[in-house]
Amino acid sequence: MTIAIIKYGMGNVASVQKAIKKMGYHSIITDNAYEIEKADVIILPGVGSFKKGMENLIEGGFVELLSKEVLLNKKPFIGICLGMQLIATYGNEPERVKGLDWIKGEVIKIKSDNLRVPHLGWNTITVKNNNKKYKEFNKEDYYFIHSYHFLTENPNDILMTVDYGDSLVAAVQKENIHAMQFHPEKSQEAGIQLIKKILDSYA
Amino acid sequence: MLKSRIIPIMTFNGFGLVKTKGFAKNPRMVGNAVQAAKVYNNRNVDELVFLDIYASDKNRKMNLQLARLIINECFMPVALGGGIKTIEDIHDLLAIGADKVVLKTKIIDNPEFIKEAAEVFGNQCITIAIDAEKRDDGNYYLYNRIDKKIELYSFLEKIKSYPFGEIILTSVNNDGMMNGFDIPLVKEVEEIIKVPIVVSGGGGELEHFKELFSTTSIEAVGAASIFHFTRYTPRDLKLAIASVGRPVRIVEKQYIPEN
Repeated sequence: MTIAIIKYGMGNVASVQKAIKKMGYHSIITDNAYEIEKADVIILPGVGSFKKGMENLIEGGFVELLSKEVLLNKKPFIGICLGMQLIATYGNEPERVKGLDWIKGEVIKIKSDNLRVPHLGWNTITVKNNNKKYKEFNKEDYYFIHSYHFLTENPNDILMTVDYGDSLVAAVQKENIHAMQFHPEKSQEAGIQLIKKILDSYA
Repeated sequence: MLKSRIIPIMTFNGFGLVKTKGFAKNPRMVGNAVQAAKVYNNRNVDELVFLDIYASDKNRKMNLQLARLIINECFMPVALGGGIKTIEDIHDLLAIGADKVVLKTKIIDNPEFIKEAAEVFGNQCITIAIDAEKRDDGNYYLYNRIDKKIELYSFLEKIKSYPFGEIILTSVNNDGMMNGFDIPLVKEVEEIIKVPIVVSGGGGELEHFKELFSTTSIEAVGAASIFHFTRYTPRDLKLAIASVGRPVRIVEKQYIPEN
């Protein structure tokens, strides 16, 4: 199985590759359309602003390619942090821009009167109670660092939530699309096991 | 609930890890950076900070080869700092896998650099190191070795709305003394700064950590001496912090990578 980590100039791709290697999977860091089409799984990591992320996806010619692979060919997709936010309909960092629109919803600033923003550090996630496949990860701690959060239109798309003032979306899942706000590659064993669970189900 | 973070701060002199007292220039050698990173990873610390503390003095860049070896040992977030002067420097550190960069001397000289950096990399990966020195007049100043006299609180008021994701607040007077944190300083700063604050400087006993977490609302603490010179582990500190009612992340499972 070949895993393509998309290189689009938005941050820390090396850590994602390192974590995947620990699980015994082979991955490539690539911006090449042919390699992405050939890959069995696509991972979109990323840190930075939503607007810059979308600009880079558009300039790199990734938008149609990724939408075709993920929506049409149903290729397994894992989005991490900004890579999760970009699949929303709209983002707002720093201003309102259109996203990939794979999962309906909008990424908005974390509202806080007495909480520090960014939401930074290890926080406990809750897996949606009817989900059997990911039940084992309920109440695990993951590493978060974000100032914006994904407000999904359809609650059925939510896989995990995290409490920070409000209950925020920590992970979404819809068919072959898996995406998380936290950084599994930075969350030690809990993170490695989660990614492994997703990859193993496609291996 | 968001957990209180325990963050070992590894300070480097260009050859090995060192530990200063009061930021004096005759630090003790305390070991090898890569080995220390490996131990901290195995102990499931929440994050790691690695600083080349003389880089700006010596006008040198971070040793990228060494930093890469450190990061390779870590499956938790790592912040790197020392000698960062340009956007290119930040790019180099993020490219080898750093999650955050720590800016200090450059932003004392030119606070506007925070904005430049955040525009390119996003504010969450920009950490600001604030070294607070209490002088004989009873006031706090921004410690630096570029001969600038800057009053601490007015500097913080000036930059508080700048786009950075976190600050590391260190008491220069208490650094390495292991005699407790400067609580009045922390209380003052947490009123001004609204991003997460990592407090460091002075933690030498479990009681110091209990005092810090029971009298302030900060969520992260940096420590070095207590790990180098006592038998306490990060887990001991977490249990102490938990005992005053603050949430911590205790990992019972031990993950040993195969390769």
